[in-house]
Amino acid sequence: MYKGLIKGISVVFGLSLMVSSAMAQEGHPLKGSWIGEWSGNTALGDFVLIVMDWDGENVTGMINPGTDNMEIDNVELDTSDWSVEISADGYTIDATIQSLELPSRALVGSWRSRDGRGDFEIVRQ
Amino acid sequence: MMKNINSMTILAGSLLILLSAVSVNAHHPVQGKFDPDEEMQFSGQVTKVDWRSPHVHVFVNVTDNNQSVNWAVELENPMILVNNGWKENSLRPGDAITVAGILARDGSRQIWGEQVSLSDTGRSVYSVSELSPNKPLSPRPVPRWPQDNKPALGATPGGIGGLWNYPTEKALVEDGVSVAMNDYGLLEDINDAALVAPMQDWALARYVHRQQRSLRDDPMYLDCKPPGGPRQYQSDLGFQLIEDKQNERIFVLLGSGNRNYRIIYLDGRDPSGQVGGDDDNPLFYGRSTGSWEGDTLVVDTRGFNEGFWFTNGGLPHTEKLAMVEKFTRTNFDTLHYEVTIDDPGAYTRPWTASWEMSWVGGQELPFSLCQHNRQ
Repeated sequence: MYKGLIKGISVVFGLSLMVSSAMAQEGHPLKGSWIGEWSGNTALGDFVLIVMDWDGENVTGMINPGTDNMEIDNVELDTSDWSVEISADGYTIDATIQSLELPSRALVGSWRSRDGRGDFEIVRQ
Repeated sequence: MMKNINSMTILAGSLLILLSAVSVNAHHPVQGKFDPDEEMQFSGQVTKVDWRSPHVHVFVNVTDNNQSVNWAVELENPMILVNNGWKENSLRPGDAITVAGILARDGSRQIWGEQVSLSDTGRSVYSVSELSPNKPLSPRPVPRWPQDNKPALGATPGGIGGLWNYPTEKALVEDGVSVAMNDYGLLEDINDAALVAPMQDWALARYVHRQQRSLRDDPMYLDCKPPGGPRQYQSDLGFQLIEDKQNERIFVLLGSGNRNYRIIYLDGRDPSGQVGGDDDNPLFYGRSTGSWEGDTLVVDTRGFNEGFWFTNGGLPHTEKLAMVEKFTRTNFDTLHYEVTIDDPGAYTRPWTASWEMSWVGGQELPFSLCQHNRQ
């Protein structure tokens, strides 16, 4: 029970930091650093970090920048419903921007690759 | 037992931190909080006048079905009311008033007071005029500096002070385009959105989204973010141009925000990272360098961040934004302002907007500090 309480406290602290620390970003809605989970990803683990930028014509970026990084091949943004398709190294992410107006907006949807599929959720930092 | 108490205390503290980070919409575009389609009128007795920034509130007891209920009537900022000749005690507890306005969207007993009047005489109270000061029938000549004969963009050399205010446009709209919008830049017809400026698809979609939410997400109101870009010349509270001839720079002082200022350098320096300490970090006001072309001050500004709205109404911009502004004092009482927006991250081509401001002599900048929001 004590362990559960500590875990709860950690989640609350984590949420409070996420809510208060996201840098305001009033430009292109995908630009920024995003952190979250692609659950069930046995090949790379559940944790995922995505950095995206907007060059005026295309969204570019990297998944898990570092030693295991994947360069993003293509990003399609449909502004009619703020849905997004991200392709990178055999992975496809289909998600929708939620809480567009917030700096800590989220991308929620699913991922799939030759290794499997699962839920996907990342929050802009 | 002690362990449990400590744990619960930590949990309670954690929840408090989380709650404190949640938005509280204190100052706001009117239609973000109030619904223009929900009009109401009532009469009652004043119980309290809460005279404080960002909005004055008058509390009124209203009798409804033999029951007395208290309504909050929200009014303009105290500075704006003072500028219109009103005082805190222009209304007092016990005064009978009639209020006409629009109701809060959240269903609470709050109303935006479009018209407040004394019930017995019908005399209007706390009304606000948007009329600029009367100008002379014959325009007064442009004041000039004796040392270089350049136009004085602010107070006349040796003369009384003042400020620029009453912009003829309150939001950026491309020159030559006519669309109806209110003072906050909220369009009367959302179908006009694409006409406002030559936006890229994502920028248009984001602009429409902000408009459809009645501009309630404006970070200037929610988070006290500075009114960078042309927005600094669209405020109700005015601005001053302070010319420091000796050091070849112009300070732009704003009558709103948190005592923000912007510096325009006229000494020919490189516009990138020229200020010690900020390196090349993108800024709310960017980096500005200027030069004179005849009687027009031309200012090149770039290096903006994306953490703010650069105009009332919520047109988006990106870090690629570069602005060329032209300031021309066409006569003593008139400042013509023109800005060309070049932002290939958000727009399909460069575009220009322009408007005029009026000189308000003998008036100091009001301080309307933004310190009440998201607390």
